[in-house]
Amino acid sequence: MIRPNAPLPPTGWHTIGPFFPRSFFREGDNDLTRISAEAPPTTRGEHVLLRGRVLEQGGGPCVNAVLEAWQADASGRFRHPLDPGWRDADPAFLGWGRAWTDAQGAYAFRTVLPGGYSDAAGPRAPHVDLAVIGSGIMRRLVTTLFFPGFATANAADPVLRAVPEALRHLLVAAPDGEADGLPAFRLDLLLRGDADAETPFFED
Amino acid sequence: MTRLDPPDLFAPYDEAGQPRVPIEGYPNTIRRNPSRPPFARPYTLTARTGPLDLAPKLRPGDDNLAVPAPGRIAIGQLIHISGRVVDEDGRGVPGAVVELWQANAAGRYAHPADTRDAPLDPDFLGNGRTRTDADGRYAFFTIKPGAYPVPDSGRWWRPPHVHVSILGPSTLSRLVTQMYFPGDPLNAHDRLLNSLPDAAARLRLVAAQTPPAEVEGDWLGFGWDVVLRGRHATPPAP
Repeated sequence: MIRPNAPLPPTGWHTIGPFFPRSFFREGDNDLTRISAEAPPTTRGEHVLLRGRVLEQGGGPCVNAVLEAWQADASGRFRHPLDPGWRDADPAFLGWGRAWTDAQGAYAFRTVLPGGYSDAAGPRAPHVDLAVIGSGIMRRLVTTLFFPGFATANAADPVLRAVPEALRHLLVAAPDGEADGLPAFRLDLLLRGDADAETPFFED
Repeated sequence: MTRLDPPDLFAPYDEAGQPRVPIEGYPNTIRRNPSRPPFARPYTLTARTGPLDLAPKLRPGDDNLAVPAPGRIAIGQLIHISGRVVDEDGRGVPGAVVELWQANAAGRYAHPADTRDAPLDPDFLGNGRTRTDADGRYAFFTIKPGAYPVPDSGRWWRPPHVHVSILGPSTLSRLVTQMYFPGDPLNAHDRLLNSLPDAAARLRLVAAQTPPAEVEGDWLGFGWDVVLRGRHATPPAP
């Protein structure tokens, strides 16, 4: 195919609306450690639980929202050819998962603690990209979850540094005990709220 | 191999082709959208990559919504929706997961959150999932959805539309949108479609009816192509 002189314009976004089919969700969709519901979880890395609530203006639960997570494996690699080290990425780790918020707006993902990696933009701290779609959200809202205990790496992360310093703590998950025998981390997402509490989102 | 050559160049979206909020009569477009503009970020590997093989996780196969089982058939105009998923270079995107969901012929969703007083069709659940082929092509057999009024919105009717979710080769190429039907008088009044400022961008969400002579069987054909974000820094070999 001959490359067009001008790129084709990307199709415009719309909301999923209030009726995203519940039957699209299967057991294990929110488990990043398996490439399918039937596959065994990867044996590499420290397995962790990520959980929190998605809240709307006024602090009420954002019910029936869909969260999609994407992250590197425990060694900081992606099974994708844009990653020069992709052939060494963990073949048993998918790195992608989808969760659905309940009546309390709660979500959870099972995953492994991602590795950091070096990018042209700078050294990336361990992180998980999160996208929120839902009724009334006409374009997905993208943000990034960082982990506590990596203060130095977080301070150097080029994406976290794109957020004003006073707001960065809103993207760092808090230790949240143990669940299912795994260390848990909590990050609530406030989609709209006071300037010092609204979750920072990034340009898509 | 195309699968090993996914797009690697991502420009910011042209805002004129993307929806603006809030939307009148749709309070969730206020409550659930940030008051602050999004922060610019460098597109690092995490954003530029994505899951290349989601089929084991999101199983395709339900591409006939109109015939849930042999001998059973949904009520409504039988239609066939097909097209290509391409990137900004016009190259087919193979292996993309395409999810489709919609209302039945009476404009009612088989979803617990749709409590409107319109009939449900026991032979129509209204959702399916498929995967694009090596050339980026997809297709669904379904029925034409009905229009429906949006509750408490001041007489806003949604025109017939199908919801589409596409997971492509990069998280930056993720797309959720809706496809409209050509010639429907409600299209011009729809507040979601009209939230795209650019008229050409709105037109791109409207399918084209396929000339009946070109469609086999008893299905009314509609064609609709989708462009996912992403180009190739190195032009593909001709």
